[in-house]
Order: sequence, then structure tokens, then C-alpha cells
Amino acid sequence: MRLLVLIAALLAGCATAPSPQAPSPLPPVPVEGAAPAVPAAPGAPGPNPAVERLMASARADEAASRLGSAEATIERALRIAPRDARLWQQLARIRLRQGEYRQAESLAARANTWAGSDAALRAENWNLIAQARDALGDSAGAREAQRNAERYAR
Amino acid sequence: MARRRRLWPWFRVGLLVLALLAAGYTLYLDFRVRHEFEGRRFALPARIYARPLELHVGLKVPEDDVLRELRELGYRPVAREDRSGWYVRNGAELEIAVRPFVFWDGPQPAKRLRVSFADGAVNALTDAKGADLALARLEPLMIGGIYPTNNEDRILVRLSEVPKVLVNELIAVEDRHFYTNWGFDPRGIARALLSLPTGHIQGGSTLTQQLVKNFFLSPERTIRRKAIELVMAVLLELHYTKQEILETYLNEIYLGQDRDRAIHGVGLAAQFYFDKPVHRLTAAESALLVALVRGPAYYDPYRHPQRALERRNLVLRETRDEGFISAAEYQAARATGLGLNPRPSTGTTPYPAFVDLVHRQLRRDYDETDLRSEGLRIFSTLDPRAQAAAEHALADRLAAFDRQGRFGKPGLEGAVVVADPQTGEVQALVGGRDPHYQGFNRALDAERQIGSLFKPAIYLTALEDPSRYTLATLLDDSEFVWQPPNSEPWRPENYDRQYHGQVPLYVALAHSYNVAAARLGTTLGLDKVLDTARRLGIERALPQYPSTLLGAANLTPLEVAQMYQTIASGGFRSPLHAIRDVTTADGRPLKRYPLAVAQAFSPDPMYLLTAGLQEVVREGTARSLANWLPPALGVAGKTGTTNEQRDAWFAGFTGAHVAVVWVGYDDNRPARLLGATAALPVWGEMMAALEPEPVAFPQPESIEQAMIDPQSGLLADSSCPGAIELPFVKGSAPQARAPCAGNPVMDNVKGFFQRLLGQ
Repeated sequence: MRLLVLIAALLAGCATAPSPQAPSPLPPVPVEGAAPAVPAAPGAPGPNPAVERLMASARADEAASRLGSAEATIERALRIAPRDARLWQQLARIRLRQGEYRQAESLAARANTWAGSDAALRAENWNLIAQARDALGDSAGAREAQRNAERYAR
Repeated sequence: MARRRRLWPWFRVGLLVLALLAAGYTLYLDFRVRHEFEGRRFALPARIYARPLELHVGLKVPEDDVLRELRELGYRPVAREDRSGWYVRNGAELEIAVRPFVFWDGPQPAKRLRVSFADGAVNALTDAKGADLALARLEPLMIGGIYPTNNEDRILVRLSEVPKVLVNELIAVEDRHFYTNWGFDPRGIARALLSLPTGHIQGGSTLTQQLVKNFFLSPERTIRRKAIELVMAVLLELHYTKQEILETYLNEIYLGQDRDRAIHGVGLAAQFYFDKPVHRLTAAESALLVALVRGPAYYDPYRHPQRALERRNLVLRETRDEGFISAAEYQAARATGLGLNPRPSTGTTPYPAFVDLVHRQLRRDYDETDLRSEGLRIFSTLDPRAQAAAEHALADRLAAFDRQGRFGKPGLEGAVVVADPQTGEVQALVGGRDPHYQGFNRALDAERQIGSLFKPAIYLTALEDPSRYTLATLLDDSEFVWQPPNSEPWRPENYDRQYHGQVPLYVALAHSYNVAAARLGTTLGLDKVLDTARRLGIERALPQYPSTLLGAANLTPLEVAQMYQTIASGGFRSPLHAIRDVTTADGRPLKRYPLAVAQAFSPDPMYLLTAGLQEVVREGTARSLANWLPPALGVAGKTGTTNEQRDAWFAGFTGAHVAVVWVGYDDNRPARLLGATAALPVWGEMMAALEPEPVAFPQPESIEQAMIDPQSGLLADSSCPGAIELPFVKGSAPQARAPCAGNPVMDNVKGFFQRLLGQ
């Protein structure tokens, strides 16, 4: 019985166990599959059909080089799910194509803050940062970003 | 005789000169009539819209709030199969017939929605056939405009849109011979001449003359004016068709007053009085508009309904007498009530402070004349729910202070700014205790000392150097004197007039110790701290005095909101803005205001600072916030109180909103109020009404947690009283163990199992 309790506690605890007397001042972001410390907010990444729909629509716009429309659509999605790293990344990619390199760099960094443990997403963010820095003439910065990209791509 | 013969040529010359002058003047008038009539485009105000409500499954919104928004949009709670603009409840479902609307990204047709709610959120969204919808947008609320200088407002209509009966009523009452006269009515002129001796020229105006008078002339009634009016009316008739004159008249005519907004034209009047497009007006409704032509104030149907009703029935009677409507139609129309739109009037805007911000931001990109005349459509970021919550919270709290009766006259004032931390969109703005007063906009223009709200800039500067400063670093809160060269010494004091000795950095922040902060700021260097403030978004140059460290600089609530937006987004500064898109009057996109982000800080120090600001709320100066918001939300914030308590501030954020509240007196006299007792309650009450989201910053990879003993700032274990888990940049946590902590390895293991077993 003890063991069962222990295992259950371990399972529930490993993602979210702050010590009981002093809760972590920053609740960790809910990890998929584990009971979240806070109720999953609409802003948290998750299968939100509205967001998926808007992303798909923006991708179609991007493919057709309707960048203004793609940008507006992604912003609309971000108002629904501001913590979805994929949206920040997509906006960074759009800005890069628009030649807004500083925006692209900051937006990709923003995507990194919400990327959690998604290494592929982080690799692509660093890729975008490398391209933006390269376009801005910061070749040292670009190389560093490229190294980060490779580190996560592995 | 000889004398007459000598005079005659001179007389003829004189006549000739007079005729030439008259001809010249007529030519001039003709030029003016044609130039102004053709060149004339009605000035159309820029129209400002709130954000549209986007419904989707999972949206946290109570059903009542959706219903309120529908009511404000003028939706009626009755199904009308052939129309849009209504909603009904069918059991657990809300059915909405959404009106068509031209958005910045194109037109959206009318559509039916079915929405159901559970636990304060949307849990199903389908179309009329029951198919799931990912997303549905209601049309946005119009929240104001930027009006021509005389605040004329109108909606332009084509003559073909105006019901025939309205035109007939107008002609029956105002100008029976409109289609046959030459712009003037000889009988009217005769009457006017007869009234000459009375000194008050009366009546006799055709529609054309009325139009000329409104268009070109001042309202004075002299014989000279009357003559010019007559000539111009004839000239107008010579150049333009009756249809053109009638259409212009119907758009020009003044038909009412909505506070400071002048209602012009039948298009806007139909919307204002009956909330419908002009083509759907009934005979009785259009008769009321025609009744108003003679005196919109005298016959104001809201203030003098009986008088308006009698005049309307007179219009109907004369229309029947002219044979335009049958006796049966007359009887039916006469029997109806006024049927007025019950919506309370709002004047030019119910949100003057927010519209002021929109206007200022538009002025950077647009010419003032264009704003006031081109009918631009401005899609703003205002969230009416956030605005209502902010207005109510401020009004409630200030009213409570009024009841205490110790605050004198004029009473306390306040301001609120609410923004989206992720995008920098301003969602609500309150400029004073009366949110409808179009006066001093404190949110934008009240420059006040910010007190301790400045302190995060000091601590952030420190935390950017993890090799020297962590949340646990002990700071010296003992007497401190700053002696600048050739100047008085500066000796900061704590609010409680005590010194607290060695305190961990997070404790000094949580309890807002002035002396520790001032010493830290001067140690770091004033320049460095002021540079941090700039990166946080404070654009104005702050005074290079150490007192700036304790918030002696004057800032507006909006500037403070910018500073806290950068913190709330984890170091990504987004300029606070109130506009998303601008289109032309017919919906062509003109300009987007895209989301802009600048990474001003790396995530690590921001994560640490936020943990510190959460401690302020958890156990520091803002712990009374627990009266409004549950601790699990992890709200981060800072109180601010200035010298002699002239200003009370609270600034902070939840996961979805960053907000700043200021309370104080306009004349800057001491208010004897603390940030925590005056501004914080407004903030808490407002945020509690806004479905608060938890602050859930993802922990950067380079951050780890450690247990700290608050006494020593050293590593603690569970046997240390009040031990707290704090984040550190990896490798920066203290290595030494606190006196209260026991053997490292064994205790760690013990603590781990104790936690697991919930002991």
C-alpha cells in the first residue's frame, strides 16, 4: 500500500511537485499528460480548433505570398492563444520574408520562451534567428544562433 | 427739360453699371454654387470600433457578458426569420443571427450561430445546421468617432435607398411644388415681403432654399440674405436636377442632437431614432423624421414625446391630404406609437479617454482634416468587458472613499490602464472618476511621481548580473547617506522609519525597503539603472538624481503601463497601442498596425524579477490582494506611494492582463492614502472581474530552484522556519548552508521523501 501511494505520488509529483510549505513562486507550465498545477488555460498550447484553423489559413496565405493577410491571421490566433510557440514562430517567419529582420529575431526569441521541451521547434527558432542576424550583418551572432540550432536539431 | 436731358445719359450709365455689378455678382454666386455644390463632399467622421468578440470553444466568457455585448450591439431578443441582429435562447443554446459586416480583412456575410456555455466558458459552437464552427466573430461595437469641428455626424444615403413615402411626406409638408417650381415659391416670397415691416422675415422657403441656407449662408434673416438665397436657389435649379438637389437635402438636413453630436441626414437619423437602415423606415417613422425638420430640439421625441407625436400626425395628415397615402394608410400610421430606439444616447463616445488615445495615435499617421472628414474606419483594441470592469472598480472604490468623508472637495481622482502583456494592445483606459467626462485625461496626461513602482528597474539591473546578485543576495538596509559633490546629502528613509539590517534581495523588494533599494541603485550606478528604465520602455529622460531611484520622477499611468508590459511579457517590449487596422469608408484596407516586439532583456533576469514581484503579492506590501485574487494565480505586482502620500499606485499583471491604477488629487495635495489601500483594491476588484489567468512563465532552461532561508539568504532545508523555494540562474545559488539547515546529503534525501509522502 505504501509503495502504491509512493508510486502515485511520484507520478503526480515529478512534473509539478513544489515543496508543500513553500509553493514555487512561478507555477511551472503544465506538461502534457501530467496533471497540471493550474487548470489548462485557453492561452496554453493545446488542440484549439480555432487556432489550428487560423494557422492553416495563415500557412495558405504564406504559400501564396499574401504576407499581409498571413500576418493579420496569425495575430488573430495569438490573441486567442498567446502562449502557443508555433504562432510566434510562424509570425517570425513571415516577418523574415517581409524583410523585418529585427522583428523576426525578437519574435523567434519569443517563440523560444514558450517552446518548452520541443527541440525541433527550438532548432527552427534558432534557424530563423540566424537568418535574421545574417541579414542584419551580424555574422558572429548568426554563427552562434546556427550552433544553437544544430544543438537542438540533434 | 434741359436738365432732364442732361441727367438721362448719366442715369443710363448708372443703370448699366448697376446691371453689370448685378451680373458680376450673380456670376460670382454662380461660381460659388457650382464650385461648392460639386466640390462639396459631406464631411464624414472617422468611426472607431472596439475589438470584435471572437467566439470559439474554450473561450472563457460568462454567457451574461456575451448577452451584454449583443444588447450593446443593438441585437434584440426576438427571432425574426427574415433578418439578422437578434438572439434567442433555445434551452441550453443561445442562437444568434449575426449581422453582416465589412471587416478589415473583407466582408463577412450575415450568419446564424448556436453557442452553449458551461462553467463560464463556451463549450459548443455550431452553425444553424449544427455543424461545428472553429471560430465566429461578432461585428464590433462602434465606440466613437473623430468628428468635424461642429461634431456633425451622418451616414450618407442614395436617393434610391430612401423610401418613397419619406420623400412624399417631406414634399407634402415642406415644399408642395418642389417638382414644378424654379427653386422659389412666388407665394412664399409675397408672404415674406408682407412680413417685412415686422422686421422678422417669415417662411416661404422651398427645399432648395433651405439647402442653400444650410450650405452657403449664415442663419441670419435679413432682406439681403433672403435675396442672395433666392438667386442661389435659382442658380442651383439651373445647374442640377431635382433628384440631385433632393438627395443632397436628405443627407444635409439637421435632425437632432445626441449630447455633443449633431445628427445630420435621414441615414443617421433612421439609425439614431429607430436603429434601422433608412430603407426600412415605415410611413409613421419617416413622418417623425420629417416632423423634426422644423425644429429638432422643439420636437425632440425623447424629451417632448407628445409634441413630437402631434407634429408627426400633422405630417401624416398633410401627406394624406396631398393624396400621397390613402385614408387607410393614414389611419394605420397614426395609430402607431413613436417606436423609438430605447438605447440611451452616448454622444460622440461613451469612452472619451480611450478615443482620445486612438485619436492621438492616429495623428502620427493621418492629417487631422482627413480624420474628421474621410469617414475612415478605425479598428481599435478596446475590450468593452475590460473597460467596464475598470470603470466600475475605480468608481466603486472612489465612492467608498467619498463615503468616509475625509477626502474633501474636489474629491479623489484616479486613472486606470489595462493592456494585453503579449501584444501591447491597450484594452481599457479610464481617465478619471467620471469615465464619460471628456476632460483631463489622467491616464495619458497626469504626470505624477511613481514612487516605488520604479524599484523593479533597480532590482532588474542587479539581477542581470547573476555573478553578483541573486534573489537571495543580502542587501544592506542600514542608515545610508548619499553625498553628491556640491549639494545637500540625500538620506532616504523607510516607510516604517526603521532600518532592517541585512535582508535578502527578494525581501527588500517584497517589503519595498527604500534604504536597501537606494543603496543598491547607487552601488550599481544611476546610469545603469536609468538605462534599464529606458529598455523597459520609459522614453522620457529621467532626472539624473539618486532620488529618481525611489520614484521622484514624474510619469503618466500609460508610461508606467509600458514599463510593466515589458516585465509582464518576460522582457519583450511591445509599444502600447490602441489601433489594429484602418480602412477607407468602403472597407479598403489602408494601414495595419502590426504586432511589434523588441527583446529588451534576456528571459533569465526577467524570470527572477517576476518571482520577486510575485513575492510582493504573496507576502509583501500587496498581500491584501488575496482579498480579490486567489494566491494560486501567482499574480505579480508592485505598490507605490509617494511623499506625504500624494499618489497611490498599483501596477502588476496576471497571465492575460497588465494593469496600472493611480489614485490621488489633481492639485497634488497629500491624499493620506497608500498604494496598498487606495490603488490596490481598484486593481484587485477589476482583475477579479476579468476571468484572470495564472501567471505561468515557462521556466527558462538555465534556471533552477533552490530552498533558501530568509534569515541568512543561504541554502535551507525543511527544518528552516519560513524556508522558501527561489529560482536562480544555474550555478548562482548560494553554496553555503544556512545555520538552521542540517547535514546536506541526508537532509536532502529526507526532505525529498517527506515531500513525497506529504509530511
